[in-house]
Amino acid sequence: MELRPSFQIPALIKSLTDVVLPAVDPANKLAQEQGQLIVGMLHLMAQRLPLQYRYDRHELGSYVALSDQLVTQAAAIAEAGAARQALIEAAADGRALLARAGAEPGELEAANGLLRERVGALITAAAATADTAALREVNATVMAHAEAQLLRERAWIALQGWEGPSAGLPAVETLIAR
Amino acid sequence: MSQTVDKNRPSPEWIADLRRRFPCETEIDRVLTRKLERRAGPPYAPVTLAQLQAGTEALLRTQLATPFTVRDCRWLSGGASKLQMAFTLDWTPPAAGAVSTPLVLRMEPSEAITETSRLREFQVIKALEGVVPVPPTYWIDAYGEHLPYPAIIYGFADGVTKPSKSSSGVSGVGTFMPPEIRETLGRQFVDHLAATHRFDWQRADLSAYDRPAPGTQALEWALNHWERVWEEDANLDVPLMRLTMAWLRRNMPPVDHVSVIHGDYRLGNFLYTEDDLRISAWLDWELAYLGDRHEDLSWCAKRPFGHLAEDGKTFLIGGFLPMADFVARYEKASGLKVDPARMRYYDIFNNYKAVAIVLATGYRAPRNGKTHQDVLVAWITGIAYSLLDELRTQMAEVL
Repeated sequence: MELRPSFQIPALIKSLTDVVLPAVDPANKLAQEQGQLIVGMLHLMAQRLPLQYRYDRHELGSYVALSDQLVTQAAAIAEAGAARQALIEAAADGRALLARAGAEPGELEAANGLLRERVGALITAAAATADTAALREVNATVMAHAEAQLLRERAWIALQGWEGPSAGLPAVETLIAR
Repeated sequence: MSQTVDKNRPSPEWIADLRRRFPCETEIDRVLTRKLERRAGPPYAPVTLAQLQAGTEALLRTQLATPFTVRDCRWLSGGASKLQMAFTLDWTPPAAGAVSTPLVLRMEPSEAITETSRLREFQVIKALEGVVPVPPTYWIDAYGEHLPYPAIIYGFADGVTKPSKSSSGVSGVGTFMPPEIRETLGRQFVDHLAATHRFDWQRADLSAYDRPAPGTQALEWALNHWERVWEEDANLDVPLMRLTMAWLRRNMPPVDHVSVIHGDYRLGNFLYTEDDLRISAWLDWELAYLGDRHEDLSWCAKRPFGHLAEDGKTFLIGGFLPMADFVARYEKASGLKVDPARMRYYDIFNNYKAVAIVLATGYRAPRNGKTHQDVLVAWITGIAYSLLDELRTQMAEVL
């Protein structure tokens, strides 16, 4: 899926900076100021987006460590009993989640890219075979994958309206549920 | 994204390898190679009307022997590919009195969603003057010697691309043509296509076009052209595109009659005058080449460039007429047959080409800030997924 924020945000900034803001009435100070703030906020988003997941994971690790310390220290405080128990449970959930939160989003993107490239190379190489039965199998597999892949991609950008409401696209959340 | 090639900073070795693997027409090779060689350079820098006016004046000084004035410069919108500036030229044409002529400057950005040759565009329009309605072409800056980027100066053609009261999406997609104008405009729509395809290009000045040998050479060049574009610009590879190209190469139909192909013949790419319903100019010839008429026939019949009739069932090509009527009229006007098998082949070819444009170049150009409207080009990238799904359906029928 190409339409992701790392591609979209720089395009927004460039169009706003090069085309839209220079055309905003200089006398309209409110519009001028908010236009500049939109560009600034988009720059901040573009800069921090690649780090967002790592940031959240790091923060979770930090709160799990804080919770562990507080649970130990509050063991003797009778008044904190119920709150301590709730914190123990939440820290355990956080620790379990951290154990699952491994790869960076960029690593996933790169792995997808590599597999797409290698799959493409195999398809091109296989097309040269005289073994029509084997080629038919390869083609059928690629076509079946394409159907599911394209349904996800079309659902992802449904808001753009290319296909209209009659396309009956499912919500993308239902297609990428674990 | 490629794991082995940095497409944003192409190496000379990679460029040479692409040129070797995908031989295409000389001028197309030049334009695509130039695009890659410039890619690592700066993004597109905004150009002011004053700069364009100065560049236009510099170009005209090389062309006109008598005094002239460029005035009333203003931006024109429309299209996803090139910048356009309207202006008025006060001048004295050779063997004529002083006149004021409304003109349009059409200039490339640093990289466009379709990377094409202004020289080819200029030549094909000149060649078709008097054959079909085209805007008068005056001057060309083929290599950007006077303007920031290559450009053409056209005469301003009167008319609209869609009914004044109709709505449409980006680039004319989704325009509704009212019943009362369909017959008159539809007749011209088909007849102009027939005239283009019957045009005797052998005697025209089309030096920027390689002349294909009979058989499949024109198609091979075209396949190489679009696969090269995919290789050059795509970020994420798409298995269906690989499968499709393998099928297109295995099933190439020979071209029985080499025609001038418009390359983007459709609703939205012609102007007509609303008072007399006359098509006044066919626009956007930048994708023209010498090839098989079925490419244009299939392209203009695509769903986004037409709509259903009032019965809710009959699809009208271009919003004008049903397929059977379209084919009958075209065959009568051109004397050329419409072959359903080749229509199906070019349906697939056209979707491959469209996806290469919107998903590969539509990603790469704004990714590097190379256009004057990155947000529009990035937006258009989204249409690739419905095109790919249509391609998947078509491929399922032929595999």
